[in-house]
Amino acid sequence: MARGKNDILQGTLALLVLRTLAVAGPMHGYAITSHIQLVSAELLRVEEGSLYPALHRMEQDGWLKSNWGTTEKKREARFYSITPKGRRQLADEEASWNRLTEGVNRVLRYA
Amino acid sequence: MAWHHRILNIFRSNRISRDIEREVEFHIAERMDHLRAGGISEEEARRLARQQFGNETAQRERVRSMDIAEWVESVAGDIRYALRSLRHSPVFAIVTIASLGLGIGANTTIFTLLDAVVLRPLAVDRPDELAYITMSTTGKSGAGDYFTNPLWEQVRDRQDAFRSLAAFGETSFNLTDAGEARHVVGWYVSGDFFTTFAVAPEAGRLFTRSDDVRGCGGSAVLSHRFWKREYGGRPEAVGSVIRLTGHPFEIAGVAEESFRGPDVGREADVYLPICAQAVVQGPANTLDNRSSWWMRVIGRLTPGVDTRQASARIAAIARASYESAVPQHWRAEEQREFVTRTFYVRPALKGFSDVRDQYGSALLALMAGVALILLIACANVANLLLSRAQTRHRELAIRLAIGADRRRLLRQLLTESMVLAAAGAIVGLVVAQFGTRALVALITTPDVSGTVSLDLALNGRLLGFTILVATITVTLCGLVPAWRATRVNAQMAMKAQGRGVVEGHTRFRLGKALVVAQVALSLVLVVSAGFLVGTFRNLTRLDPGFDASGVLLATVDLRRANVAADGRASLHQQFLDRVRSLPGVTHASSSDLIPMGRGSWNDEIIIDGFTPKTREEGVTWFNEVSPGYFSTMRTRILAGRDFGTGDVAGGERVAIVNEAWSRRFFGERSPLGRQFRLRDRRTLTPPYTIIGVVQNAVYQNLRATDEPTAYVAQSQSVSPVATRIIELRTNGDPRSLIPGLRTALASVHSAVTLDFKPLEQQLADALQRERMLAVLSGLFGSVALALAILGLYGVTSYSVARRRNELGVRIALGAVRARVMRLVLGEVGFVVMLGIVIGTVGAQFASKQVAPFLYGTEPADPKVYLSAVMLLATVAFIAGLIPAWKASRVDPIEALREQ
Repeated sequence: MARGKNDILQGTLALLVLRTLAVAGPMHGYAITSHIQLVSAELLRVEEGSLYPALHRMEQDGWLKSNWGTTEKKREARFYSITPKGRRQLADEEASWNRLTEGVNRVLRYA
Repeated sequence: MAWHHRILNIFRSNRISRDIEREVEFHIAERMDHLRAGGISEEEARRLARQQFGNETAQRERVRSMDIAEWVESVAGDIRYALRSLRHSPVFAIVTIASLGLGIGANTTIFTLLDAVVLRPLAVDRPDELAYITMSTTGKSGAGDYFTNPLWEQVRDRQDAFRSLAAFGETSFNLTDAGEARHVVGWYVSGDFFTTFAVAPEAGRLFTRSDDVRGCGGSAVLSHRFWKREYGGRPEAVGSVIRLTGHPFEIAGVAEESFRGPDVGREADVYLPICAQAVVQGPANTLDNRSSWWMRVIGRLTPGVDTRQASARIAAIARASYESAVPQHWRAEEQREFVTRTFYVRPALKGFSDVRDQYGSALLALMAGVALILLIACANVANLLLSRAQTRHRELAIRLAIGADRRRLLRQLLTESMVLAAAGAIVGLVVAQFGTRALVALITTPDVSGTVSLDLALNGRLLGFTILVATITVTLCGLVPAWRATRVNAQMAMKAQGRGVVEGHTRFRLGKALVVAQVALSLVLVVSAGFLVGTFRNLTRLDPGFDASGVLLATVDLRRANVAADGRASLHQQFLDRVRSLPGVTHASSSDLIPMGRGSWNDEIIIDGFTPKTREEGVTWFNEVSPGYFSTMRTRILAGRDFGTGDVAGGERVAIVNEAWSRRFFGERSPLGRQFRLRDRRTLTPPYTIIGVVQNAVYQNLRATDEPTAYVAQSQSVSPVATRIIELRTNGDPRSLIPGLRTALASVHSAVTLDFKPLEQQLADALQRERMLAVLSGLFGSVALALAILGLYGVTSYSVARRRNELGVRIALGAVRARVMRLVLGEVGFVVMLGIVIGTVGAQFASKQVAPFLYGTEPADPKVYLSAVMLLATVAFIAGLIPAWKASRVDPIEALREQ
């Protein structure tokens, strides 16, 4: 498979999904991939195969909840939304991501 | 993921699968829309969408990984892995499983008995409602539990504390009318007996109150086991006639299988109502005897009445009951004391049990012993696992280094221990099946009074116990090695490559500590065995005051022979005369009682000039014997003469006393020619003149060899008994006399019933508990010793193998081989010494626990400790010698080249 775009770094998928749902409200899986791709200006690409297992795991962990609904095209889809627990998790992950990037940046700048 | 989610997912898995499918379907549809919008054909769009999504099935599986199936699968994988790795080291597997199997099996064996005898409530409906009435203030079982029939009838008719109250007394019945007797255990039970225990009939009917009325003809109820054994479980048995000690009884019914009666370990074969005693024993029955204490009373409390309230209610009727049942022939002061006695009601959840009284504490001691054995076996297995982990050190380090989860590795190693323990538990259950049978055989005597009947079938409790023991075993011997094995610093482990010149000792300390513990624990068991085996030896070597070898006892019972009381003596004399001439018989005599037999006779002695300080001091044992009794038994006559033909009925009454008797009443003076009388109810017998003194001989209790005993002449018997015992001495096997004896006795009178038993057997039966303790503690001690030595040998060999490099260097640098041996042996010595010191402390505690079982040895006897320590040290030295010798043979060149 061609890898033109950056596959999402292991462990950051949860962060991106939580952020997406926190900002844009309830969404189905396909919309989440599209949203991430769109917002990252096509720099990030969600590997579709890992998205659904991740969504399920996050739901089991209580970060997300889901229910079935109908899209504008009248298709049945499962809509995910973030829970309060998920918002706390998002804050944690944002903070640690910031620490990581700051660290990496510093190394790139000064080392 | 949390385990409960996994479990919930099992139930949800269908829904989840469907959900996932729908979700994926939706996703692909959306993707296809998107692609088609870009101008791609439907076919191509579908293909691309699918390709981009990846393998759908794999996807679904990944989502479903939250399923328990995956978890079970990975556990199964661990088990497969464990089995594979055990298959690769079969010796390790066999040694481990065998030692765990023996350890667990021994524990299950003893627990099976402990459970059946001590722990389990009676197998009847709501046993917690049962309570018994006793006169004993202590709560210990004993004489105070026994009632006379008149007293029982008083209590039965007056009480209101029990919904249902029953009495029972044990006896034995003879199934044959003549010839050699076949005894079965018989119980006389009151009418409410089966109602009290809520027993249902297996066939026919059980007794009700109307079966137990004075003057009844009587009918019989069979136990389920007797019915199976004797009648093959045929229903026609009910209604047929069974002859018990010569009297016919109709079989009314059979009790249900689960019912074994309230006396744990003793079960009736045949039940008769109490009133039937008059049929079986005729005028000799004890139904109106006010001083024949032979029945126990147990009942089911009235709802809402507890034992304390019941005690008060029963105590309230005590005075009236005792007054109506006072033994009329007792002296006035004894009668006055009698009526002031009272009753107590105590819970009878577990019933009565002589077996429990006799073996309960012994079983507890044995339980402690087998627990120690399991600990020692555990230590061995832990050591094996430790050294196994050592060899897998690098494998584990690599797996950790490439990212394996430590918990995952831990689980894998523990799975291996669990597989071992499970296999050990299965072996243990098989061992226990044989063990319990062997153990029961060890405490059962051949005659009917010694039969032990217990429910030893495998049940939930035993299975639970075995699983518990196996789990403890895994935890003890698996957890620490697994924990240590996975606590490797990956880098260090890889760097060290197991080739350091000097092996670090830290990792090894645990192994040695385990051996110290093993030595200590085995010393405890060896010392206990020393005491118990010593006790048994003391008791077998003890001079009972007679020579049991070559003596056959023949019990001749005339009760069935229809001989009038005044004809008995001469008939018995004919028997004796007849057997004297049998080939092979060197001596023959007869007596009323035999040493350590079931019967006994004591009476109060009155001697002019002797005032007993207590009533007990005036009471001594008695026996009635024929001339030649002492020479047959080889009891030495120390002074005076034996009974002779001149000692006839009507002549001067004569007696022979033993040394203890003489010392008690006459001190150092000679008793010959002195006279005594017996108190016979409220009168005194005519005087007996002492004509001889014999050495002390055991009367009833083997541990008491110096009980004052007086012998009187059978030829002068006032009321000859129907049953006498003939003693025959032969130079060969006493059993070889039996066939000739049987025909000879039958030729004198055809309707006698006979019982044969070598006197040595009689002695052996009296030592049953001691033999069991000696055999088992000896076995435990040896097993413990062997396991500990195996552990010591393993650890030492392993340590030598690890230190090959170091030893090679030492030898290369000029260390003398003897010095290398000393080095290794020194280490062994240290470990053993430490174990012995700790073990000595433990053994002191243990020997205090076994003290009640001991005879002829003190629990502090230093000789026992010293020999145990010597034994352990010697064996340990030999076990250390082999690795030490190997260490000294290390070839320095080879050892160093291995680098």
